[in-house]
Amino acid sequence: MFRNYIKTAFRSLLKNKGFTAINILGLALGLGACLLIVFYVADELSYDRYNTKSERIFRVNADLKLGENRKDYAVVMPPLAKTIVAEFPYVEDAVRLKNAYTMHVKKGDLNMIENKVAFADPSLFNVFTLPMINGDAKTALAEPNSVVLTESTAKRYFDKTDVVGKTMVINDNQNFKVTGVIKDVPQNSHFNFDFFLSMSTWADSRSNAWLRNDYSTYVLLKDATDAKKLAGSLDGFLLKMSGDQMKSEIGMSYADFEKSGSYFRLNLTSLTDIHLKSKRIGELGVNGTVQYVYIFSAIAIFILLIACINFMNLSTARSSNRAREVGVRKVLGSPRKYLIAQFLSESIMITFFATVIALVAAIAVLPLFNQLAGKDIAITTATLFWLIPVSVLIVLVVGSLAGSYPAFFLSAFQPIDVLKGKLSAGFKGGGLRSFLVVFQFGISVFLIIGTLVIKNQLNYIQTINLGFDRNQVLVIQNAYELNQSTKTFKEELKQLPGVTSATMTGFLPVSVNRRSTSIYFKDATLDQKKSIFPQSWEVDADWIPTLGMKMVEGRNFSKDRLSDSGAVIINEAAAEFLGYKNAFGQTLYNSLGGKVELTNTKKYEVIGVMKDFHFSSLHEKIEPVIIRLAENNGAVSLRVNTKDLPALMSQIKSKWATFSPVQMNFSFMDQDFDASYRSEQQVGTIFIIFTTLAIIIACLGLFGLAAYAAEQRTKEIGIRKVLGADVSAIVAMLSKDFVKLVAISIVVASPLAWYCMNLWLQDFVYRIEVQWWVVAVAGLSAIVIAVATVSFQSLKAALANPVDSLKNE
Amino acid sequence: MIKITNLEKFYRTEEVETIALNKLSMEVNTGEFVAIMGPSGCGKSTLLNILGMLDDPDAGSYVFNGVEIAHFNERKRADLRKHNIGFVFQSFNLIDELTVFENVELPLIYTGVSSADRVKRVEEVLDKMQIMHRRNHYPQQLSGGQQQRVAIARAVVNKPKLILADEPTGNLDSSNGNDVMELLTDLNEQGTTIIMVTHSEHDARYSHRIIRLLDGQTVMENIMV
Ligand SMILES: Nc1ncnc2c1ncn2[C@@H]1O[C@H](COP(=O)(O)OP(=O)(O)OP(=O)(O)O)[C@@H](O)[C@H]1O
Ligand SMILES: [Mg+2]
Repeated sequence: MFRNYIKTAFRSLLKNKGFTAINILGLALGLGACLLIVFYVADELSYDRYNTKSERIFRVNADLKLGENRKDYAVVMPPLAKTIVAEFPYVEDAVRLKNAYTMHVKKGDLNMIENKVAFADPSLFNVFTLPMINGDAKTALAEPNSVVLTESTAKRYFDKTDVVGKTMVINDNQNFKVTGVIKDVPQNSHFNFDFFLSMSTWADSRSNAWLRNDYSTYVLLKDATDAKKLAGSLDGFLLKMSGDQMKSEIGMSYADFEKSGSYFRLNLTSLTDIHLKSKRIGELGVNGTVQYVYIFSAIAIFILLIACINFMNLSTARSSNRAREVGVRKVLGSPRKYLIAQFLSESIMITFFATVIALVAAIAVLPLFNQLAGKDIAITTATLFWLIPVSVLIVLVVGSLAGSYPAFFLSAFQPIDVLKGKLSAGFKGGGLRSFLVVFQFGISVFLIIGTLVIKNQLNYIQTINLGFDRNQVLVIQNAYELNQSTKTFKEELKQLPGVTSATMTGFLPVSVNRRSTSIYFKDATLDQKKSIFPQSWEVDADWIPTLGMKMVEGRNFSKDRLSDSGAVIINEAAAEFLGYKNAFGQTLYNSLGGKVELTNTKKYEVIGVMKDFHFSSLHEKIEPVIIRLAENNGAVSLRVNTKDLPALMSQIKSKWATFSPVQMNFSFMDQDFDASYRSEQQVGTIFIIFTTLAIIIACLGLFGLAAYAAEQRTKEIGIRKVLGADVSAIVAMLSKDFVKLVAISIVVASPLAWYCMNLWLQDFVYRIEVQWWVVAVAGLSAIVIAVATVSFQSLKAALANPVDSLKNE
Repeated sequence: MIKITNLEKFYRTEEVETIALNKLSMEVNTGEFVAIMGPSGCGKSTLLNILGMLDDPDAGSYVFNGVEIAHFNERKRADLRKHNIGFVFQSFNLIDELTVFENVELPLIYTGVSSADRVKRVEEVLDKMQIMHRRNHYPQQLSGGQQQRVAIARAVVNKPKLILADEPTGNLDSSNGNDVMELLTDLNEQGTTIIMVTHSEHDARYSHRIIRLLDGQTVMENIMV
């Protein structure tokens, strides 16, 4: 019997090649797109789950509030890790990581610049699952000057992985012994380093300071359920540990500190939440956003729905054509069961083909998708482990779901009705079908609006006036290599034709690494309530002109005024925070650390206010910034103005070579800016691709439906033409029904999309409005797409000889 | 009114080529009532469809009211058709979704008659066909004879100069069939040219002239008295 179903199904599908092609193609496209999104979402959700103990690992965070200033840190105090293990018996182990940012490592005579370097405690390999290929995980990071490499790094330097015992020269003169080689840190890890240096190498790691946050610290609990208990005990623990230091260094008990409206607290983030839910100061990498996971999951469901709706619509539409066949079969005594089974086999068969095509296609475009999404997703046996059952499930569920309506609907026909032609009512009869078309196009309109809004917002981010000029600025990132000579190097570069100006400082509005905060008090009472905790940057007098910052009040620093060493320039946000009407001439007391006493502060005079400029994510408000004159050789930035950039570059490079044997590491500021929004851009691109796909699939469905509507009404079309209807009348008649449905979907979907996209935009402090024209464009495109699709079919019907239509009975 | 010369029409299927019309020539004058007869498959319907501009010939000439139209495309033919020709089919070809009134009204809509005029003319013709009391019924609710009367009403509502009827009585009993023939005769007497395909010698007797076809060729013409 089963073979008979398959055979009949095959014949029926072959007989309607066009229909079968549209159906399989639409479904395959939908499933394929869906699959890619599932890969993406699964990858986002898989972060850090490679750790076998992931359920029991938590990161300790610190929340600090000082007066009106709030900071949430992903890093905590240096001694916390050690102390917490000693204090709480249910904490099994703890590990600290400290980003070492950039180092250079000797490879032969060359100094390679390495950006993925961290200091780590020896417990690293007990807490995290980073399997060791060579070396002893227990002792690898115990001794100072030990380094553990990842597999690919070892290959990069030594062309092999059994390199334990070899020596590497880091930062010119430090010898490190390779004590282990581990497998590469998985791509879906919230941190990603190539070098792990033993923490004991870093003297500061032995600091007992409880009042600063700078070590990423993870605890491994014996039992995951103890997390609540630990979280509840952390504040008491912190108070106990830091109380004395607070008294001696700030001169205040924690109770007084809290009374003044400030606090200092600890909390936990579970390891598996870090990637999607944590956006704190001092994260070890760029994290994802859980919102995008939701958005993409929703799109995947939408696409799947659209594809399934197509499938159902086309199947039912076609089923009316087969009504007569069903009637005849029934008259001949076929039981209903048989008919249902036959229609279901057909639909499951289509789904099967579509799923196979979707799988092959999704895997084929995965590399391209990875490139667009900035991901590194690979199909592994682990993937197949869920992919194959899921595919089988899709075939069965989607196949029977999509096939069920035509199967039960058709098989329920009374044969006499069918033969009498009562069911030839055609397209208009499909109430459910109309609803589904509205639903489908509603989703499309929603997605078009969403796409336009996202595109506009991303565009806005790219073209927003940042408050400084990021174009034509060359940044020499490793200028600190030149030590004392950096300043001379900068002055010499300024002499080059083509260099308009140059500034020396590591504090730049696009780099995320060099940030520093400091407390300033408004007056000599040193009252915390009248304090500000801004970005406090060290710059030189060339900073403002080189970066093209604008002054709104006062003046820039001057090299010639000695008194400017006691001067600061603040940004508008700081002026507003401090409540200045007239900032010029105001005084600020900068805490130098230690007890809060006048002798521990430095007095500054405000000599100017700069226009606000963006230096962190546009998701956040511009923070207060205070700049002062100091020699910081973190980087040298040049404003260049030349037609022959390569020539200038080689001049700069040869100048650099006279100062240092290390390679010069440079970038252009506009590219750095783009890089910091790359993930947003990637998300935007993916979104646009998938919405386009969704719309194409919806159109494919409409195309098929229009074809069927036209076919169903062939006889009517013929009669009307015999009676004198011209082509336009026929096209209008056929399009009218669809246009009506699409219009309804626009009316329903636009307000919804408007609302949702406004919600999305709320997440950006700097954002566009959803403009009315976006909705108008979306509506219009939906209509145009629908009319174009339908007209194609209608025209075909309208241009045929009427006698052809009349014969087709 | 109609003059065809050496008209040819082929149908090509995968295996065979059928010659439906084989160098057929004939002439029909204004005001005539012509019957076309012949065995099944001899090309009667094909001829009628071409005369009615529902289909195009493969070769030969077709002059309608002095204009050569054999090479006209569907657009031009449609325009000529809607102003000059009415059709009556064996299977009535009424639109199921439209009422009697709406079915009859359609040709007027397509020739751009104003709404008030349409009501007047449709009612007039429904009256004449004695089907007025059924104006709001749907085709399925009518008997075959009634359906054919609606179809004739629809064919004549635009006052065409030529009516083409393909076995108009084929689906009707003899009494209903006679009614239909009477209606056609009346129309002919009022000046409408009629060309009718029929299998019935009885029906053919209502005409002035019978054209007999065999294998797509004229074999004989009888002039009726
Ligand atoms: N679409 C078509 N494709 C192939 N052959 C066709 C087609 N239409 C008609 N024919 C062939 O052309 C010939 C003439 O057909 P036509 O319908 O004109 O016959 P007819 O005289 O009207 O017959 P009947 O009296 O049975 O209605 C027939 O042999 C028929 O098989
Ligand atoms: Mg015929």
